[in-house]
Amino acid sequence: MKVDHLICLPGERLSICNKTYTSGQGTYERQGYIYSTLAGIVDVVDKDGVKVIEVHSSGQQTIIPTQGDIVTAQVYIITQQYAKCFIKCIGNTVLRNPFKAVVRRENVRATEKDKVEIYKSFRPGDIILARVLPITEAHMYQLSTAENELGVVIAHSEHGYPMVPISWTEMQCPKSLVKEPRKVAKSTKKKYKFEK
Amino acid sequence: MSLCDAEKTFILHGVKENFRVDGRDREGYRPIELETNIVQHAFGSARLRLANTDVLVAVKLEIDVPFPERPFEGKLEFFVDCSANATPDFEGRGGETLAAELANILTSAYRSPQTFNLKKLCILKGRKCWKICVDILILECGGNLFDAVSLAVKAALHNSQIPLIKSINIDGDNIELNVSDSVFDCEKLDVANAPVMVTVCKIGDQCIVDPSLAEEQCSVGSVVVAISQEYFSTVTSIGKGSLHPRTMCNSLELGQKVGIRLNKAFMETLHNIQPDEDVGFLK
Amino acid sequence: MPIDHKRINGPEESVPYELFARLSGITSEKTFEETQSANIRTDGRKFDEQRKIFLKNGVVSQAKGSAYMEMGQTKVMVSVFDPREIPNRSDYSLKGEIYCEFKFAPFSCPKRRLHQQDNEEKQYSSIMKKALESTVCLHELPNFQVDIYALVLHNDGSALSAAINAAGVALAEAGVPIYDIVASVTVGVQQGINFLDPTLSEEQMCQTQLTTEKFPNPNHAVVIISKLPMQQQLCQFHQTGYMSLDQLKSALELLTKTCETIVPLVQKCLLSLVTNSIKP
Repeated sequence: MKVDHLICLPGERLSICNKTYTSGQGTYERQGYIYSTLAGIVDVVDKDGVKVIEVHSSGQQTIIPTQGDIVTAQVYIITQQYAKCFIKCIGNTVLRNPFKAVVRRENVRATEKDKVEIYKSFRPGDIILARVLPITEAHMYQLSTAENELGVVIAHSEHGYPMVPISWTEMQCPKSLVKEPRKVAKSTKKKYKFEK
Repeated sequence: MSLCDAEKTFILHGVKENFRVDGRDREGYRPIELETNIVQHAFGSARLRLANTDVLVAVKLEIDVPFPERPFEGKLEFFVDCSANATPDFEGRGGETLAAELANILTSAYRSPQTFNLKKLCILKGRKCWKICVDILILECGGNLFDAVSLAVKAALHNSQIPLIKSINIDGDNIELNVSDSVFDCEKLDVANAPVMVTVCKIGDQCIVDPSLAEEQCSVGSVVVAISQEYFSTVTSIGKGSLHPRTMCNSLELGQKVGIRLNKAFMETLHNIQPDEDVGFLK
Repeated sequence: MPIDHKRINGPEESVPYELFARLSGITSEKTFEETQSANIRTDGRKFDEQRKIFLKNGVVSQAKGSAYMEMGQTKVMVSVFDPREIPNRSDYSLKGEIYCEFKFAPFSCPKRRLHQQDNEEKQYSSIMKKALESTVCLHELPNFQVDIYALVLHNDGSALSAAINAAGVALAEAGVPIYDIVASVTVGVQQGINFLDPTLSEEQMCQTQLTTEKFPNPNHAVVIISKLPMQQQLCQFHQTGYMSLDQLKSALELLTKTCETIVPLVQKCLLSLVTNSIKP
């Protein structure tokens, strides 16, 4: 299979900037032209008839969480008010050093916010999917799991076995059959693989 | 200080029309106020006020050993202290970067023997020399710190008096210096060539000198030009912006023109200063 | 300046022995006279000729991006690390920040350097920071700081330029968004002659005034510029010495022209970086 790669270097002029071409990730616009900010491969993505020009870096990308990103995080401390976690991945990119983040009680789920109890939603060690909220303070990202697809995706029971979700509020340990409460993420993939 | 877009546009248009917010043209300076000889314990001192920028400079002299690389020369050192009085931003270590930048630029501007002759400070080759410590205290920060500091330093050095050394006794490694008993037996420093700094600020498509705090905010890039006679002793770009080579050339020309004028006016004022008298000049 | 007392610094004051040899023999005047009469520099270059450049990226495996540059004898290593949150800051800043640390290795100069940064190194750090601040797209890294460390292994003049050039490559390798590649060049001026890409002895010669009786021309200076070649912008400019406007303009012209010659080298280096990553 022959792959054509269009390589570009920082500062290189890629295209004119108009209604059909706009600047996307890894590029910037200046005086009507689109320039690259990275050394990498040019990618043209068609989005609603507009061609978005993107540049993808050859090595690991330098990315930081921004508002609206879906991130994968690991919970490490829970209190009554919030759960603290480390962001491990942004979208599909694995981060080298994790960022600190916090899920507040009111951001755990969309309904019955006042009845949320953190310990019934997350436990330390859980892997969660969450969305980044607008950044208001330095040093800490605010996350939200108030969507059906967001919440706990991987959790282990007290005995250390990976648990299986049985409803959107509960997970069960396949060995000891103990049920534990969680804010479970609705899997968008096919039904669980280990259900053979 | 933070400005909204409308305010910035207003300043920008003013600069374009050659009529700035405070009524100056692009090459005009704000009024400067100068006092000298105001610190009792210093060998020379000056306080300079440029509109809202207030700088106090004191010169102390010490006897030191010359650098082994340059046995015939004395030493000149600059210390800048950005006091938290000036703005709360300077609190703690906040002013350190600015202070270091100021000290660096001064050191670099005074490095050439053409600007300031360090050989005059040598007492005994390789053994003893004068070390001039110039302490700069920023009392208030109202824009255009570089120009104000350079002028104040020049005035303080002009004001400084080096005690005359009557005799030197050498006894092996011991060197004894006899300083004249009379307080009036002093030597003045020659500051005719000491550099004067001019900050040239690019606003819109034009370059201006002596930016106020508000104008500094609108600037895309600035160049500090240190002028000694008609020569450049140091040029350095400051701020976050970048400049086109042609703009750079224009800034250099403007900086030189204004610098020569400023230096002339300043030297005249320095010579006219009477003891115990406050003098204002340039308007 | 406070000194770190826990570190053993060696003797506080030491003098390289070459100093005494040089004081008795070769002076800047002599070097200049010889160069002028031969019309060729001591290392056989023409006045407007650069030294040979070697550039390599990816030399430090722990760093996100790194580069090593040789300009003649001058050897500089630069590494760039992942952006991290700005330490010791309580408020949120919309723009990112650059932290530069420029260091001469203790053995890199004729005189031994201490482990702590001295004033010259601090000044170089701030010049380097200035050059890179207008190069990196800081708005894309809100509240983050990019750490850049430059270490000079051997200083034979133009070390700062080499460090800035290498930093540009290292930043590109690290995937930090930058507006353009940076190219930096130094020139030394003495008696109206521009010494492009000066060696250490030429740099020292250009920093001092030669005896006025023999050499009436007072021009002497060292000028460093950094340029964003595609944007045709000077992102940093620093001159120190004593020079006239005309002299400065001619030096500036020479420098901006020479910056262009560095660009293909950087491009080649980055190109191989990308092609290597594409190959399976």
